[in-house]
Amino acid sequence: MARLIDLGLNQLTIIILDMASIAEKTVIKSITSYKEDNMEATKEIFKTSAKLRFLQDEVSELTTELIARFQPVATDLRYIKSCMEISYGFSRFGRYAYDIIDTLEIFGPLELCDKSLVISMSEIVLEMMNTGVSALRLLDNSLSNKIYEMENYVDILYKKSLREFAANIKVNPVYSDNRCNISSALILKYLERISDHSCYIADSVNYIVTGLSSPRR
Amino acid sequence: MPPPPPPPPLPSSSDTSSVENNARNMPSASSLSSDTSSVENKSSNLFGKDKPKLSVTSLNAWFAGKIALKNINIDIKQNCVTALIGPSGCGKTTLLRCINRMHEMTPRASVEGQIILDDLNIYDKSSDPVIVKRRMGMVFQKPNPFPTMSIYDNVASGLKLNGIKNKTLIKNVVEESLEGAGLWDEVKNDLAKPGISLSGGQQQRLCIARALAMQPEILLMDEPTSALDPTASSKIEELISNLKKNLTVIIVTHNMQQAARVSDYTAFMYLGELIEYGHTAQIFKNPAKELTERYISGKFG
Ligand SMILES: Nc1ncnc2c1ncn2[C@@H]1O[C@H](COP(=O)(O)OP(=O)(O)OP(=O)(O)O)[C@@H](O)[C@H]1O
Ligand SMILES: [Mg+2]
Repeated sequence: MARLIDLGLNQLTIIILDMASIAEKTVIKSITSYKEDNMEATKEIFKTSAKLRFLQDEVSELTTELIARFQPVATDLRYIKSCMEISYGFSRFGRYAYDIIDTLEIFGPLELCDKSLVISMSEIVLEMMNTGVSALRLLDNSLSNKIYEMENYVDILYKKSLREFAANIKVNPVYSDNRCNISSALILKYLERISDHSCYIADSVNYIVTGLSSPRR
Repeated sequence: MPPPPPPPPLPSSSDTSSVENNARNMPSASSLSSDTSSVENKSSNLFGKDKPKLSVTSLNAWFAGKIALKNINIDIKQNCVTALIGPSGCGKTTLLRCINRMHEMTPRASVEGQIILDDLNIYDKSSDPVIVKRRMGMVFQKPNPFPTMSIYDNVASGLKLNGIKNKTLIKNVVEESLEGAGLWDEVKNDLAKPGISLSGGQQQRLCIARALAMQPEILLMDEPTSALDPTASSKIEELISNLKKNLTVIIVTHNMQQAARVSDYTAFMYLGELIEYGHTAQIFKNPAKELTERYISGKFG
């Protein structure tokens, strides 16, 4: 027989997986827009970002209700706690997607900029996000280590790229170049944040499965 | 674009196998759950360097040849509350009754193994069951004040039975015990009234006071709040956490949340065996054994 709490937990899972799919699509769309110098999706990304915020509130309401009504323990409790954190992560994904396209809107068009550093970092970050979402869907914490390794790499790449821009700005203080440099630096920062939040999702999956806080920290 | 989400992985309503699937992927949890013997549960590293107040080793108990407790090994820490949980018939009451030597009073019941209270082997031939019982108080599921006695006499009865005649001493102990049971203010002007004239919750606290009057070192409580309303129950729970400053409490409860609220350590029993024993927070947040997980989160049956 199904437990009463299972109805609520299923509902929670549906919202979380819905958020995962929306968040992932939104970040991909935002990075594609940047690559293609296309601002058409700005409104849509703003809307989805707001929707993710709304869903995060729903998760918060539902988790609070489940705790109050069922006083869950063990895996149920860990799952509920993790859903709160994961839903925050997805709402941040939405927010950074919006920040990325907003940067394009403010500084763009950027078609003359060299976007290669940002694009190569975005590829890693998209894969991290995708791996995080898979880990969550499958509750497979063996994927966490891969995400942690990629995060180390992203951190190094991030610092290295910023130093390169700094060097560029010194030798070539032309306005248009700075527009490129500033937008690239901002977007790298957002990507670095997404990378970090992908790790938090991996942490949460670890916690649900093993009950242990992340071995990384 | 990501593919549409598959059905929710966990926890799902009907499919308990997802939990098991999951357990297979849990290196730390499953390695613990597979073959930790109950002897390891007892391991004193739970208490650091502290010596246990009570140590149960290789305890078996039978009713008319039918085994009720199988190789129980558990250490109980002093000035802590230890909760015993587990489904009906798993042997919680029997364990309490072995600890205070009441089990052997049941016709055709027998017990084997070792229980050490401080340095006293309570089943040693030389140890006196009366002395053992005096060092342990017991509170039962249903409040059972002596029906013909006043509130005062209920609390004083044990002292009088033990031959204490000093009226001032008795009066002081009665007052202290009622105070300790959180009942004094409610009954101080009605001490001559019958014990059974009190409400259920007050009667239970009267029984606690009666136990406290004997100044026990260990208080055994067998579902002490199951007949009480939430307010009376939470009074008893507050009382339990006060009492542990001066004594050691072992409480049997069917209320998981109560165990989680009042206890420092929790032992989960199943079919006469001790399945898992640990810090209460660990048992409720991250039980090592699948069976514990299933019981405490209501996935049994
Ligand atoms: N007086 C008795 N005579 C024979 N068998 C008994 C007696 N008391 C208990 N048993 C058996 O011993 C086993 C353990 O019983 P016990 O009362 O210790 O369980 P429990 O965990 O306290 O259950 P509950 O939660 O229902 O109080 C059960 O199988 C029970 O049937
Ligand atoms: Mg019982």
